[in-house]
Amino acid sequence: MNRTKKLVASISTFLTRRTSHPSSSSTLRFNPLATFATNPQTNLTRESLQPPPSPAKPLTILPFSGRAFCSESCDKRSSSVCWNCGFSSEKAAFLFCHSCRSIQPVDDSVDYFQIFGLEKKYELDGGSLEGKYKDWQKKLHPDLVHNKSQKERDYAAEQSAKVTEACRTLTKRLSRAMYLMKLNGKNVNEEETVTDPTLLMEMMELREAIAEADDSKELNQIQSQVQEKLKQWSDSFADAFESERFDEAVNCIRRMTYYEKACEEIVKKL
Amino acid sequence: MMMRQTAKKALGLTSRQSTPWSVGIFRSYHENVIDHYDNPRNVGSFDKNDPTVGTGLVGAPACGDVMKLQIKVDEKTGQIVDARFKTFGCGSAIASSSVATEWVKGKAMEEVLTIKNTEIAKHLSLPPVKLHCSMLAEDAIKAAVKDYKEKRVKTNGA
Repeated sequence: MNRTKKLVASISTFLTRRTSHPSSSSTLRFNPLATFATNPQTNLTRESLQPPPSPAKPLTILPFSGRAFCSESCDKRSSSVCWNCGFSSEKAAFLFCHSCRSIQPVDDSVDYFQIFGLEKKYELDGGSLEGKYKDWQKKLHPDLVHNKSQKERDYAAEQSAKVTEACRTLTKRLSRAMYLMKLNGKNVNEEETVTDPTLLMEMMELREAIAEADDSKELNQIQSQVQEKLKQWSDSFADAFESERFDEAVNCIRRMTYYEKACEEIVKKL
Repeated sequence: MMMRQTAKKALGLTSRQSTPWSVGIFRSYHENVIDHYDNPRNVGSFDKNDPTVGTGLVGAPACGDVMKLQIKVDEKTGQIVDARFKTFGCGSAIASSSVATEWVKGKAMEEVLTIKNTEIAKHLSLPPVKLHCSMLAEDAIKAAVKDYKEKRVKTNGA
């Protein structure tokens, strides 16, 4: 009962937060009251205070200038304007405004690879990811931004969550592969039932072997076999993806999903 | 508890995770699901090569589940006389396939093709996130019937 209350409470606070804070696209018409109260530096009369964007303006015609209007869903890398100082940049200001260093709201056009300054490809150096992740969290973690305004703290919390999500997605091979496909507009259809008999027979036998394995030695053996297969299919994916053989890539992802699941089962048993 | 574990081992079902629901979990499984999980009906296999057996093997790409559903058909009447299943997956997937084997028994093949995943889901009160498990069971039934029919064509043609 308590738990339900807490859940409801957290959902309602979340919702009110979302509605009371402008999303990245609406920073152009920020609420003067909010910034006025918290940030005396805000100059309301400067160029930053722009008239509301005209809804009819199509995204594709947006010029890349500081005063560009942004319609509701800014999913292109159009310019963004800092809610605090009005500094505008051509590049979507991720996390911090280059000018006044205030934390920006989450911009959905920034993808996970950009956050870590990595190329949009499958191969990844795990070490660099970890280091950058820690750097970002040092700047963004909600516990470390006491001295900032409530608004910025909220932005920090959102950005921090996004960075964590990004790190999680990019660290694991399978999720990274699926994310890459998604970025290229090739959503891996998870709903469709798999009927490939060879694949399924193999998986059935694998899962049966795991179920019947008695000791950890046997399990470890199976695990190393599965890891090898994963590596093999991971490489196949990289290859297929590079050559834009997307159907093949999807197939590789499917196999990887199954092998990963098998690994999970082994780990559970061990 | 020990008895149940050994019973489960005998059925080859230890790959399933131990009961995930415990007192105090916000959302718990429906009692029908728990029933099928604790007392699975019709677990096992038929001989794949038996001409009266149809085997449906399906998988769910999202969660890496595998489901095998087999039917034994009376050649004269075209009725399904027995069914077995073997599923590696979550509780909902196991329950769905268990329900499927129960429902196909004693029915004609054409009739079981009309079994809808929504009916299975309703029977088990599956939450939206688990609806694909019932879909998988429906697909398994269809695959089993298809396999049997194809085998018949082959034996008749040969």
